[in-house]
Order: sequence, then C-alpha cells, then structure tokens
Amino acid sequence: MTRELWMGRGARILPPVVLVAALVAIWGWSAATGLLPRWLLPGPGAVLHEFDVSRAVLLKHAQVTATEALGGCAIGSVLGVAAAMVMTLVAPLRQTLYAYALASRALPLIVFTPVLVIVVGRGIVPVMVIVSVTTYFPVFLGMMRGLERSNPDRMELLYSLSASPTQILWKVQLPSALPYLFAALKVAASTAFVNALVTEWIAANAGLGYLVMVSGQYFRLPLMWAAIFSAALMTLALLGLILLAERLAGRWTQQATEV
Amino acid sequence: MTSASAASLTRADTASEATGAAGLVAQGVSVTFRRGTQVIDALKDVSLNIPRGTRAALIGASGCGKSTLLRVFADIVQPTSGTASHYGLTPAEARANRVYALVQQGSTMLPWRTVIDNVALGLEIAGTSKPERLERAAESLALVGLKGFEKSLPAELSGGMRQRAAIARALTLRPRFLLMDEPFGALDEITRDRLHFELLRILEETGATLFLVTHSIAEAVILSDKVVVMTPRPGRISQVIDVDLGQHRTPATREDPRFGHYELMLRRALHHDA
Ligand SMILES: Nc1ncnc2c1ncn2[C@@H]1O[C@H](COP(=O)(O)OP(=O)(O)O)[C@@H](O)[C@H]1O
Ligand SMILES: [Mg+2]
Repeated sequence: MTRELWMGRGARILPPVVLVAALVAIWGWSAATGLLPRWLLPGPGAVLHEFDVSRAVLLKHAQVTATEALGGCAIGSVLGVAAAMVMTLVAPLRQTLYAYALASRALPLIVFTPVLVIVVGRGIVPVMVIVSVTTYFPVFLGMMRGLERSNPDRMELLYSLSASPTQILWKVQLPSALPYLFAALKVAASTAFVNALVTEWIAANAGLGYLVMVSGQYFRLPLMWAAIFSAALMTLALLGLILLAERLAGRWTQQATEV
Repeated sequence: MTSASAASLTRADTASEATGAAGLVAQGVSVTFRRGTQVIDALKDVSLNIPRGTRAALIGASGCGKSTLLRVFADIVQPTSGTASHYGLTPAEARANRVYALVQQGSTMLPWRTVIDNVALGLEIAGTSKPERLERAAESLALVGLKGFEKSLPAELSGGMRQRAAIARALTLRPRFLLMDEPFGALDEITRDRLHFELLRILEETGATLFLVTHSIAEAVILSDKVVVMTPRPGRISQVIDVDLGQHRTPATREDPRFGHYELMLRRALHHDA
C-alpha cells in the first residue's frame, strides 16, 4: 500500500515490462547461440516475421477461436450467474441440486468432447459448448459463494424492512456478490482460450488450436509459436476487459471499505 | 410492572389503553441460543408492557440480551418460549405491515448506494414512487443534519454521520414504533445532544413509541418515560423505573434536581445487579 503511494503508475508497470523485455532478450540470445534448438523454439525474429507473412491465416483462425472462447465464456457466465440466482431464490432447488453441482465439478468434462462431436458434429459448436461448461462452473460457484456470504447486518436490514427474497437478492446479495463474480470471471477468462485450443484438437478443423496442431505436424515451428502467442494475447485482452469492467463497477466491488 | 404512572406521563391514547389496545408487550419471553454444546440463555422469562406513545429505554451491561429483546420485537429472533406483540400484532405481522422501523447497532449501510438512496431504501422496498421517496428521504436527511450529503457514499461519511443516516432511514418510514439499538453510540457528545432533542421532537410530532437500547444512563434518563433495567446471564429484567421529568424535555431538564436523582437511581440499579 505504501509502495503505491510513492510509486507512480509508470513505476508500477515498469517492472513487468522490464521482465518481459529481459525474457525476450534471453530467448533471442539463446536462439542465436543455438542454446535453444531451433526445432523447439525459433528465435523471436522468426516468430515476429511469421506474424507478418501469415497474418491472413492467423487472423482467420484467431477469429474462430475468439468466437468460441468469448461466446463460450459469455454463455457459461450468464448461465452460471442465472443458476446461482435461481438457486438462491428457490431453497428446495438449492437443497437438492447444490451438492450435485459441486460434485459434478470433479468430472473431466473435456473427455466428453468425442461424444459431443458425434452428436453435434465438428466445428465451432462443440468447442463453444465445452468452453461454456468450463466457464459455467467457476462462475456458478463463485456467484453462489458471493450470494451466500452477504453481510448478515445488511440482510437483516432488508428483512426488517419486509423486503421480498427477490428484493433482497437484487438490492443486497447481487451487489455483494460482484467481487466474487469478478474473481470467478478472471479464472474463467484465463482458461477459456486454453480450453478452446485443446478442444479444437479433437473437435474442430479450424481455430488457433487446430493451427498449432497442424503447423506442429508440418514442423512449421514459427507459425505454431505465432498461433500460441496469438492465443495468449487474446487471453490477456479478455482479462484486461474484465479488469476494466471491475474498475468501472468499483463502487460495488470495493467492499474492503466495509461500512 | 404496572404502567399506571408511565401512562399518565405519556401521550398514550388513554382511550385505546382503556380498550386494551396495548403498545409493546412481551409475555414470558425466553430466548435460548445453542452454539455447539454451549447453551446461552439470552433472555429468561421477560415480561414487559410499554404503552403506546411511551418513550422507553432499555439499559444493561453488554451481553445481557438487550439486542436480542429488540430483535424479538423486530421478528428477527424467534422466542424459544413466550410471546411478543406490538399494537396487538405479532412481530411477524408488525414487520409485514411496516409498523416498526429498526435502527441497527452499527448503522448498517449499503456501501454501493449514495446516502439518499440508502435513506430511501425502506420506501423503495415498500414500493413508494421515486419522486416521493427521494423527497421524503431528503426531508429526513435535513432533519438529522445531513443536508448536502445526499450524493455522498457511506464510506465518505464519519461513523457519527452514518448513524444519523441510519436514523434518517428509519424516520422516512414514519413508523408508529421506533426500535433503536444504541443509535447514538458512535456520536460525539455535541451531536448526540442535538440528536437527542431532535429525536424527542420527532417523537412528539409523530406520536411514535420509542424503544431504545442504550449503554448510557444520562441518555436513558433524558430520552425516556420508562427505563427498563436488564441483568445478564440469564438476561432478565430487574427493574422498570418510571422517569417523571415531564413530557417536554429541554437541555435545561438536565439541571432539574430530579434528573440527577434518576441518574443515581439507575446507577444504583445497574450496580446493584452487577
Ligand atoms: N445469534 C446468536 N447466536 C448465539 N448467541 C447469541 C446470538 N445473539 C446473541 N447471542 C448471545 O446472547 C447474549 C446476549 O446478546 P445481545 O442480546 O447481543 O446482548 P447486548 O445487546 O445486551 O449486548 C450474548 O451472550 C450473546 O453472545
Ligand atoms: Mg447489543
């Protein structure tokens, strides 16, 4: 905290930037000296060059993956939030389903992908389904936790005002759950692209994951790494968007200043 | 625990008294909390009768069950045995009909709402139209001296200002029955003084019944017609003292020799119990 006081914004983002620059420098140096075999990881120059020459290909596949990851993330989040709200309002539903909802998280969902492919065919749909499901769980659980842990005094206040369960949900529980929701969204967002990529190996003929697999098979290592970096950049962009939204909702999420 | 002398002092509607329309009544209320193997008798066989329009204070050492008794009337805690009622309604009915307004210990605010939206919360829940509820909330805010802080966030207020906002929220509901749990605890002496007389004036205007939990002997005497003294473990009522300082109180009331007399009486009652 005190660090923030004397460090300006520039000083705060400087260390990570220096770290990345140093890593790229080490990477370039080890590639140039042959320390890092070219068939494993080509130099930064080669990867950067690949971004330029294969721009069209990368863009095409990135679009597919972005659709799958963002669409899946959105669907999963909406479903997760909605399910948590319904379970909060309908006690019998919560009592019968919550334990199963928790337990079902143990299922390695990605292994159902081949079955999914048989049902819906290859393409964007099965990938988006898997991303939705993998997003759904952290969001649902985070939201449930947030809704359950609303400040008891605030709940009591609304109760004394004779508020209905729906009013309590909207006016106290949802705002209280927002910090939990954002934490869950960050977890979901950081895995959405990875899950999309991996699922594409099994379930798609397009997308960055597919491109990684194919370019690997054809030993087009710079293209493979360009695809991997593209996915990483998109993950960072999504995380950035969520952080921005969280900041915009600052009034709701800054509950450290408990009142 | 007859209310004869208290009734004569208060603005209690004697006609309704005569027809038996009671104010705040507890009959043999016991509350037992179980925490693991630990059994806490928070209230033990508490009986109480606060006639309509009375200003009553509940005083006692901390942990003696004051908040619990208040929460029984607010329908937040269910008595293990016995019954409570206000104006002939059960606490559940009173809550559903918004007969009472509660000022919680700790002046709870919704930190994401502005002060005025916090104050208007009760009316919002009751379905009052936005212009009306904002107008009434602004009135209450002015009443507690928070004019100009409508658009502030609770975190931007001092503890004392938040308490005033919590009081304002209760007042916007124009309750017949004001339940307050140590509402002046975090206030400085000067503000507390001012709010005491504001509260008395509001009660006079609205004819509401006050049931106030407090730690302060002086506060209990200046604000009430009836002081209920509680003792801990198990929480029970040891004495009910009628405070005969007249209907209209002013800062000068404290110079009345009877004021000191009641203070002493209460101090003795509390120490005797301890
Ligand atoms: N919800 C609860 N669960 C368990 N014990 C409680 C609960 N509420 C109050 N108590 C206990 O009951 C006793 C009376 O509490 P309270 O009514 O808050 O006292 P006061 O307001 O006079 O300080 C205390 O010992 C407290 O720990
Ligand atoms: Mg208390």
